[in-house]
Amino acid sequence: MSKEDILIDLRGVTKTYERGGESLTILESLDLELPRGTFAALMGPSGSGKSTLLNLIAGLDKPTAGSIEIAGQRIDRLSEAKLAKFRSSSVGFIFQSYNLLPVLTAVENVELPLLLAPVAASERRKRAQTALRVVGLEDRMDHYPRQLSGGQEQRVAIARAIVNDPVLIVADEPTGDLDRKSADEILKLMETLNRELGKTIIMVTHDPAAAARAGVVHHLDKGRLQRKADGGEHA
Amino acid sequence: MTLTSLAARNLLRNKVRTSLTLLGVAVAVVTFLLLRTVVAAWTGGAEFAAKDRLVTRHKVTFVMPLPKRYIDEIRALPGVKAATFCNWFGGKDPKHDREFFAQFACDDGYFDVMTEQQVAPADLAAYKADRTGAVIGESLAHVMGWKVGDEVKLETGIYPSDSGWAFTIRAIYKATSRNVDKSSFFFHWDYLNQGLPEGRRDAIGWVTSRVDDPAHTAEVGVAIDRAFDDKDTQTLSQDEHTFQAGFLAGFSAVLYAFDAISIAILLVMTLILGNTIAMGVRERTSEFATMRALGFMPQHLRWFVLGEAGVLGLLGGALGIGIAIPLIQGLLGRFLEENMGNIFPVFRLPFGACVLALSCALGLGILAALLPARSAARVNVTDALRKLV
Ligand SMILES: Nc1ncnc2c1ncn2[C@@H]1O[C@H](COP(=O)(O)OP(=O)(O)OP(=O)(O)O)[C@@H](O)[C@H]1O
Ligand SMILES: [Mg+2]
Repeated sequence: MSKEDILIDLRGVTKTYERGGESLTILESLDLELPRGTFAALMGPSGSGKSTLLNLIAGLDKPTAGSIEIAGQRIDRLSEAKLAKFRSSSVGFIFQSYNLLPVLTAVENVELPLLLAPVAASERRKRAQTALRVVGLEDRMDHYPRQLSGGQEQRVAIARAIVNDPVLIVADEPTGDLDRKSADEILKLMETLNRELGKTIIMVTHDPAAAARAGVVHHLDKGRLQRKADGGEHA
Repeated sequence: MTLTSLAARNLLRNKVRTSLTLLGVAVAVVTFLLLRTVVAAWTGGAEFAAKDRLVTRHKVTFVMPLPKRYIDEIRALPGVKAATFCNWFGGKDPKHDREFFAQFACDDGYFDVMTEQQVAPADLAAYKADRTGAVIGESLAHVMGWKVGDEVKLETGIYPSDSGWAFTIRAIYKATSRNVDKSSFFFHWDYLNQGLPEGRRDAIGWVTSRVDDPAHTAEVGVAIDRAFDDKDTQTLSQDEHTFQAGFLAGFSAVLYAFDAISIAILLVMTLILGNTIAMGVRERTSEFATMRALGFMPQHLRWFVLGEAGVLGLLGGALGIGIAIPLIQGLLGRFLEENMGNIFPVFRLPFGACVLALSCALGLGILAALLPARSAARVNVTDALRKLV
């Protein structure tokens, strides 16, 4: 695999928390390479550090040691301001509890990340509408989050995650709060984003059925990463 | 949507809380403005005092009288154009014994010196021709329902009289400007003097003189006092402004108390705003963390919080002023001017106080938001997001 094809490159990543004089190593000298266009699932017991790892890759947190390269950029060395810029331009976030702003409508929530980009207001609105169309919510643009079902809320969140066309989408248990049917719809949507739009996705999940949708599954346990198996049907 | 409209949306998040806060700020502002208006009305008279008038009183205290012959000596001094004198009568009408109004026993030249209180020439002549005549202000006439020709009997502890003091109203004076008292009662000093026992006669309360040239007011005052320097009773001459300010100084404790209450009210307003902003920030921690994840910077969040507080303060302040203007100018002001004109000749909301109130509401709102804004900016993104799940 050529260097350009590697989107995510972690080397010797260690994350240690200090708590009450004790140091707690969550991730220990961890290596990970993910090619562009991968749909990866991250599994492991509760407390194993999945979210911690995802946050490091997404530029929300910094490792105690090791290097993190995303699309050729060493993000572990970036300042807070540069890291924020990196997140806004290169990462799409999908959270377990959707994290939509309750005071904004669906389309406004999707517009939110674009407020930080040099995009004119009318263009922002147009892009947000397009993103909502991609997730099949063109008829819910002006609904507030409380007027939407959980599955619909998560689709708005996905539209928000793709609106600035990021190279990477991170999802922390995106189906954790959803019933089976809504979860399947969300997973199908993520698959489409991966396959049709070529988005690289890392998804933390406890659900084997969800992991089965991914092209590759990594297991995290006791600070170590294991590539267990290639995912389900489209490895 | 813009960053500004996003900030504005947050004000509508909890409409009940926002409304209550606005109302709280508005009530504080109305109270503040009322206090400022009272203080301004109280001290207002002194600010409009004539610059070419001197008041000469007993050197020790305003309450002690001067010998009557002093008036002739003052009138004879160079620079003095005209002089008059009065005694404080301190009476009340037993039929209206809850109405306070000032009465003065004055020399007949009074209205020549106090030109801002005007009496029609024919009425003035009628007053001068009647030994027991009286001239009253138009506000007093209105409040008491008195008119020319009415007979009035007053009682006073300063000059006791078994039969009381009987007067006939002969004229009603008007004031040339709103700041001038329209509620006083004037009568002939001679009538008072002749009704007193021998030993109390020929004493005058104070002398008011008009000088030739307002630029020389201070020098004329010094000359008057020097003229009595080696007499038994020495004098103190002050320009009218200083005299009135000194009279008001007797109330300075009250004015200080009003200032202290004003500050306390501003403090309460700050606490109301601070509480609302802090609550809003605390319950939005996860939203702030989400925004940070999406790439918003700490300063974005800080400005959101400060902007929200500023807008809240401004709106509350504007609402308060909106309530205060009709309340003070329309209702209270008119009532007090008509009924208590002797204490509050002009009870009007000072424009400066409105500006001050609005600036305080804005400034204190932002001040109250400084700490919440800091904690919003310092949200630990990963911890806040973890707690969310
Ligand atoms: N700020 C922190 N300080 C101390 N310990 C922390 C901190 N953040 C996380 N941890 C610890 O790190 C470990 C990993 O947390 P993490 O959230 O990454 O686990 P996870 O695999 O995502 O678990 P789950 O499946 O329950 O979401 C946990 O034991 C947690 O208590
Ligand atoms: Mg987790």
